[in-house]
Amino acid sequence: MNTATQTADAAAATSPSRQRPPLRRILSNGAVIIGLVYLTLYGIYALNEPSALTVYSFSSLMNNAAPLALAAAGVTVVILSRGFDLSVAGVISLTNVLMAVHPMEGAAGGLTSLALCLVLGGAIGAINGILVSYVKLQSIASTLGVMIVCQGAALLILDAPGGYVSDWISYGLTDVALEVLPISGLILLLVACLWGLFLRTDLAVGIYAVGADENAALLSGVRVRRVRLAAYILAGALYGFAGYMLSAQTATGNPNAGEPFILLAFAAAAIGGTSFAGGQGGIVGSMIGAATLMLLQKVLFSAGVSSFYTGLFQGVILIAAILFSGMLTTISNKGRAQ
Amino acid sequence: MTQWKTTLRRSALGALGLLASLGLAAGAAQAKTADGKYKIYLSLSYSGNAWQSEAANIVKALAKTPPYDTMVDLEEVISGTDPQAQISAYESMIAAGADGVVSFPISATALNRTIHRGCQQGVLFFMYDATVTEPCAYNVSYITSGFGENSAQALVNAMGGKGKIFLSRGVPGNSVDKRHTDGAMSIFDKYPNIEVVAEYYSYWDDRTTQQETAKALAAHPDVDGIWAQAGEYGAIQALFDAGDRLVPMTGENSNGFRLALANPDYQARGLKGVSSGSPPAQSGYAFKLMMEILTGKRQLEPQSIQYPLPWVPADEVTLCKGDRIENGCNAFPEDKVPSSFVTEVFNPDLLPELSLASALDGKQTEGATIQPLPTEVTKAPPEPGINCQKCEPPADHFALTKIKPAM
Amino acid sequence: MATGTGNREPQSFERRADERGSGGFSSETVTTLAIFGLCVLLLLASRFISPAFGSLSHLQTILILSSFLIVAGFGQGMVIMTGGLDLSIASIITLGGVACTTLGHMGSLMAIPLALVICAGVGLVSGFGVAKLRIPPFIMTMAMGVIVYSACLGYTKGSPWGSAPEAAITLMKSDLLGLPLAVYFVVAFALFGWFLQKRTSFGRRVQAVGSNARAAQLAGVRAARVTMLVYAASAASAGLVGVMLAGYADGATLRMGESYLLTSIAAVVIGGSSILGGAGTFLGTVGGAILLTTLGTIIQSLGVDEGWRTIIEGMIIVIALLLLRDQLYTKIRMMTSALPGR
Repeated sequence: MNTATQTADAAAATSPSRQRPPLRRILSNGAVIIGLVYLTLYGIYALNEPSALTVYSFSSLMNNAAPLALAAAGVTVVILSRGFDLSVAGVISLTNVLMAVHPMEGAAGGLTSLALCLVLGGAIGAINGILVSYVKLQSIASTLGVMIVCQGAALLILDAPGGYVSDWISYGLTDVALEVLPISGLILLLVACLWGLFLRTDLAVGIYAVGADENAALLSGVRVRRVRLAAYILAGALYGFAGYMLSAQTATGNPNAGEPFILLAFAAAAIGGTSFAGGQGGIVGSMIGAATLMLLQKVLFSAGVSSFYTGLFQGVILIAAILFSGMLTTISNKGRAQ
Repeated sequence: MTQWKTTLRRSALGALGLLASLGLAAGAAQAKTADGKYKIYLSLSYSGNAWQSEAANIVKALAKTPPYDTMVDLEEVISGTDPQAQISAYESMIAAGADGVVSFPISATALNRTIHRGCQQGVLFFMYDATVTEPCAYNVSYITSGFGENSAQALVNAMGGKGKIFLSRGVPGNSVDKRHTDGAMSIFDKYPNIEVVAEYYSYWDDRTTQQETAKALAAHPDVDGIWAQAGEYGAIQALFDAGDRLVPMTGENSNGFRLALANPDYQARGLKGVSSGSPPAQSGYAFKLMMEILTGKRQLEPQSIQYPLPWVPADEVTLCKGDRIENGCNAFPEDKVPSSFVTEVFNPDLLPELSLASALDGKQTEGATIQPLPTEVTKAPPEPGINCQKCEPPADHFALTKIKPAM
Repeated sequence: MATGTGNREPQSFERRADERGSGGFSSETVTTLAIFGLCVLLLLASRFISPAFGSLSHLQTILILSSFLIVAGFGQGMVIMTGGLDLSIASIITLGGVACTTLGHMGSLMAIPLALVICAGVGLVSGFGVAKLRIPPFIMTMAMGVIVYSACLGYTKGSPWGSAPEAAITLMKSDLLGLPLAVYFVVAFALFGWFLQKRTSFGRRVQAVGSNARAAQLAGVRAARVTMLVYAASAASAGLVGVMLAGYADGATLRMGESYLLTSIAAVVIGGSSILGGAGTFLGTVGGAILLTTLGTIIQSLGVDEGWRTIIEGMIIVIALLLLRDQLYTKIRMMTSALPGR
């Protein structure tokens, strides 16, 4: 296989390809697999807890999942380009405290806050991107440094939890539209749609190509450095969005707000079918993966698993989910080879 | 991409409909207090240290003590350190038809909305130790009782009003840590000869305290005193690692620290101070208050209730002979409990039902029955960011209650 | 498409080959020397902050505190060498501490080896998942970490009991010829790690698997077995950190390992290892660990807000990476090759 087709193939693996048999193609898609896992878990949850099927339960699940889903989407973009971005925790903390210290009322204020979060996240992403793609530092360590700096900055802005987030954000974004559609869920859906459009751009193809094989991408004319930088900026903006949605949910600021996200976001990406070797996966799978992790808490609660051993089940389910999706991918790849 | 997403959504709705019919049939048996018991949830943030597990064990022991043993269906849920996980847990509890939630809240503010919704559904929320600013929840806490300022004054007195000190703080960006430290600094700032030479975060943990204190000692081997929050026993060990010299220090309620304070050999080397701070027994008081309200024995509007501050200077450390708090004893022999055991697990007035096995293993005391609480509760002063959102602290904020300035 | 272990950019493989051919300093040696040089510079500079800094007792404190990070970094470094990442370190440190204190009544000779074997067993499971089941190391070790932590929590019901075995206390607390025993231990461990990595066939196999798993396989290295052993060794060394921490503070707590997860990765990477595997040296990691600990003591004594201290800490990690990156080696080589006679 020459490099050019390899790159094209890497991109095709995720964007809808036309040649493979539909069932196999669907089953090899991480997002579909994790979607099935999600539905199964939701079924178990509903069996144990009938109120799971109310609009309220669903919308509170969506509200819970939205920040992690956006954070997972961000780390996925970087993972796709074969990098690692720990700054997610720092950006979320920083945007969260900024929103709590400088609340802006009304729809205009809410949208301005959103713009600020996206820009701030993007700017921090740009720093990461420059350090990784131009200065050539190792992504895991340099983004760790950036994360620590952001956390320090968050502490300087707010030295103890407090402040408040404007009502338009904290009530409006956690509400339900038309009595059945959780706003936060709609926001996630919008991000997924935007990602679908983004996949058609050269930049998206470039990100997948760089992640799959940097040299090949370079040879086929991809501007590797610029593409990497763009991936980090996009990721940073998504973390900023995650911080924004977290503020909507907690309605307050906390300088340590981002900490729990650091491992969870990567776990969500992994069970969503994104390969840590780069070039394979997508943010939709990661977002459903994030929703699955949040749902898991509910399922374990409703199943009455002893609280000491909750983690044990979470760990085992995480491994099982990966094995399961790996199995389906292998099966479908075998089919493809024939 | 969007196309399959819609397909997914559509099939999801179908599946949900199917599951709905199944789920309703299976779930009907789990209705609220079907067996006539009160459904109480114990929501912990983090069961990673002695303090948290003792506080939880106390509630478990009380729930097994007659007559609560036949009245209460207690379930424990651990939510790690992530406020979102606790939000999710509270939501599940409300959905499961809880009558009451006894909880150590992870965040003073992030849980408010969920708690508010629970209150509207008639769930009682009792927070112990840590607090929330949501007005419909009950807080039972020592935080407002002035640990920071009183212990700081004790340290100043022990040092004769001058010298270099370390501040061994809790978790950065935490409101409890900030309240304690603000209180302490209000005292230290009055003494120009007291110099804070190092201030570090020990995460309320012995090992971290020991390592951070060791770092500080490397820079300032000539320190004259240490003001510590929980984890204080680690600071003593760091002093030992550095040499034989001990200095005056104040800390919280670990058994190791109390025994050290009472040790004549250590006293001769320079250790003096006070053991004070957060008592795990708060959880038991919160639980009993909640049960009295649920059973109609008490009328109490949601409010912040102050738990009395434990205060044990070196000369008042008394070893307990048996497994119960008798004759005012306040520490246990070394072979009974680990050094990290937090001694303030009993309260003869509020919690006479408890014994050592209650705190260590969550077992009820043989022959004990639940005793009524004193009618009076102490209302906590407003403390912005701790128990109220937009409020002013009282005029005598940081006033000393346990000790007088010696100079 | 690449899955699982041993996956790295092809250019660095060429670079390594190229490097072996040319005499003189290797990139690793330069990085290691540079990092130790940076430590010395920092120690000298720290005298301006506090007169007690740079003294022998300051040095002893640094060595004792960094011993935990050095041992944890040994395991983390080996895993990183194979192109993986061990996120279970924090939980396994706790497991080691909890196991040796709760088994402490059996005596040091039983309790400590047993604790290490338990930990190594957990590592073997992680290794099996990575090497045989092809689960990404990141997820496998993270899941194992969650499982092990939860098991420790359930086993101890939240509060570990018992005290540390005598031998662990002796190791961390006693002196020999005027120096703490732990200091000798750090030096011995560093030499042992270096020897294992550079002078044994196991060490070479680990490096081969990290450089190119498939090539190593073809060359007769049983990559899966090596990978499993590496994860077992990493868990055993994390378990040893748990034992040491238990000895240092006489007892275990459930969160004792927390602070070593990200710092162990940082120490390894600052020490010049590539996160993609195949390159790195344990002595570099030792330097990285000492550098981070030295910085910790210095930053703590800066009289500024915690926020600023945190910012400085983060900046220094980035600056250290900037100073120690690969180009440094390339520049030095360009300079030396420009010298007449070479």
